[in-house]
Amino acid sequence: MKILNAGLLAGLLAAVLVTPARADENLLGYLSGAETLPAGAKEAYLWVTNRRGKGTGHYSAFDLEGEFEYGFTSNFQGKLSLKGLAVDTRNILIDAYIPGDRKFGPKLSGVEGTLKYRFLSPLINSFGLAGQVSLSRGWLDPYSGRDKNTTSLGLDFLIQKNFLDDQLISVINLSNENTYADRSPIAGLPPGFEWPTEPEMEIEFRAGTGLSYRFAPRWFVGLETFYETEFETGVGQERWSWHAGPSLHYAAKSWWATFTWMRQIRGGGPPYAGQTDTRLHLIEKTRQEFRFKIGYNF
Amino acid sequence: MYENNLHWWTLPAIVVTAVAGQPAYAVQYLTVAQAQKVLFPDADQFVSQPLQLTAALKRAVERYSHVRLLADTQPVWRVLQDGEDAGWFVEDEVYGKHEFITYAVALDSNGGVLGVEILDYRETHGGEVRNPDWRAQFTGKHYGDELKLGRNISNISGATLSCKHLTEGVRRVLGIFHAALK
Repeated sequence: MKILNAGLLAGLLAAVLVTPARADENLLGYLSGAETLPAGAKEAYLWVTNRRGKGTGHYSAFDLEGEFEYGFTSNFQGKLSLKGLAVDTRNILIDAYIPGDRKFGPKLSGVEGTLKYRFLSPLINSFGLAGQVSLSRGWLDPYSGRDKNTTSLGLDFLIQKNFLDDQLISVINLSNENTYADRSPIAGLPPGFEWPTEPEMEIEFRAGTGLSYRFAPRWFVGLETFYETEFETGVGQERWSWHAGPSLHYAAKSWWATFTWMRQIRGGGPPYAGQTDTRLHLIEKTRQEFRFKIGYNF
Repeated sequence: MYENNLHWWTLPAIVVTAVAGQPAYAVQYLTVAQAQKVLFPDADQFVSQPLQLTAALKRAVERYSHVRLLADTQPVWRVLQDGEDAGWFVEDEVYGKHEFITYAVALDSNGGVLGVEILDYRETHGGEVRNPDWRAQFTGKHYGDELKLGRNISNISGATLSCKHLTEGVRRVLGIFHAALK
C-alpha cells in the first residue's frame, strides 16, 4: 500500500508540476465557466476535496484528482483525469451504505475523460455558452471506500456572463450524470446488514449558480450554490441536497489556486437509522466539504 | 483494516511550496519616455498636462466607451514639434486577466490614432497584443468610429481578454479626447 500511495502521490505531482496551466482558470471550486483553453495550450490541475461530518461517529474522506487539459482549437478542449480516494470512518453504521470502520490513505479510484466545446465566448458575445461531455470509470465507492465499479456518462451546460469590465463573473451550470454501478460483496457484515450487489443505475441532476469578483490584482472572491438530486434503480428519488459556500482564488503568472468551503444547507431523502439532524442528507453527503485546487500553466 | 494514511494537506503543501518561490512576472517593454520617442520620433517636447477626471467628464466618456474610468487623473502629454502642436500622448491602463496592462495611445491634433504601444504587460498569456499588425488596426481611428472586437478589430485566439480590453481602452482614450482635449 505504501508503494501504491507513493506512486499515486508522485503521479499526481507529476501531472501538476511537469506539465505547467491557462485560460480555463477555475475561479470557483464546484462550478465552471464557459471559457476554453487557447489552441495548443496545456493546463494541469490538482484537486483535493475533504468531505467531513455525518452527524455521528467520525467521517472524513479525501478526493484527489490530477488533471491534464489540452486545447485542440480555441473552442474545443479535452481533459484526462486520474482520481484518488482516502477514507477514514469510525463508529458509523449506515445500512446499505457504510458497513463499518475503514481507514486508508490515497488509493487510485478512477479515471475520467472530458471534452468541452465553447459555442459562445463571454468576452465576444453577450454571454458565454459551453457544452461538456465526460466519461468516467471508477472502482471505489467514494462514500464507504469499498469496492464498487462504476461507469458514468456526464453532460454539462455551462453559461457565463461577465459584468464590470469582466471583473465580476457569473456562471450557471446545468449538469446530468448517469452511472451504472456494481458493488462487490463484503464478508463479515453485521447481522441483518443490507449490502446490495445487484447492478443499479444512478441518475444525478445538478443546477448551480455562482459569482466571482476580482477585488484586488490577482485575487478573486466568490460565492457559489447548487442543488443536487439523485434517482436510483428501485428507489426513485434517493436524495436531494442544497449546498452553498464561499471561494477565494489567487492567480500568479503560471499558477493559480482556489480554496472553497461548501456547506450543506438543506437536504432530503430517507435519513439513516439514528440520524438526529434530519434537515440534511447525510447518508451519501456530508455536512461540509473543503476543496483546494491548484493549476499550473504552461 | 487500518492502512497507511497520508495527511490530506500534504499534496497541496508540497505543490504550493514548489511553486510559491517563482519570481514576479511584470514585464516592462517601454518606459513612458521610450514610448513617447517611438510614437512621436520627431517631437521635441512633451508637456505633461494631467487631466482631472470630473464626475461629469467620467460619465461622458463612460457613456461613449462603455468602460469605467477608475482613476481621477489621466496622464496626458501635449506633444510639440518645432513649437507647433503635434498631438497628444495618453497613458492608460486596462484590466488584464489578473493585473493591469499599461499602454499608451498617440493622437494627432485632430484626435486620429497615430499608434498604440504596450508599456507593461503582466499577464502569463495574451502578450500577442504587442504584435504590430494587431495594434496597427487602430491607426487612423477617430472618435465615433466603430471599435468592436470581432467586428472591425480582429481577435487573437488565446489573447481575447487582452484584445477586448485594449480595444475598449482605445475607445475610452478617443472618448477622453472628444470630451476634454479637442
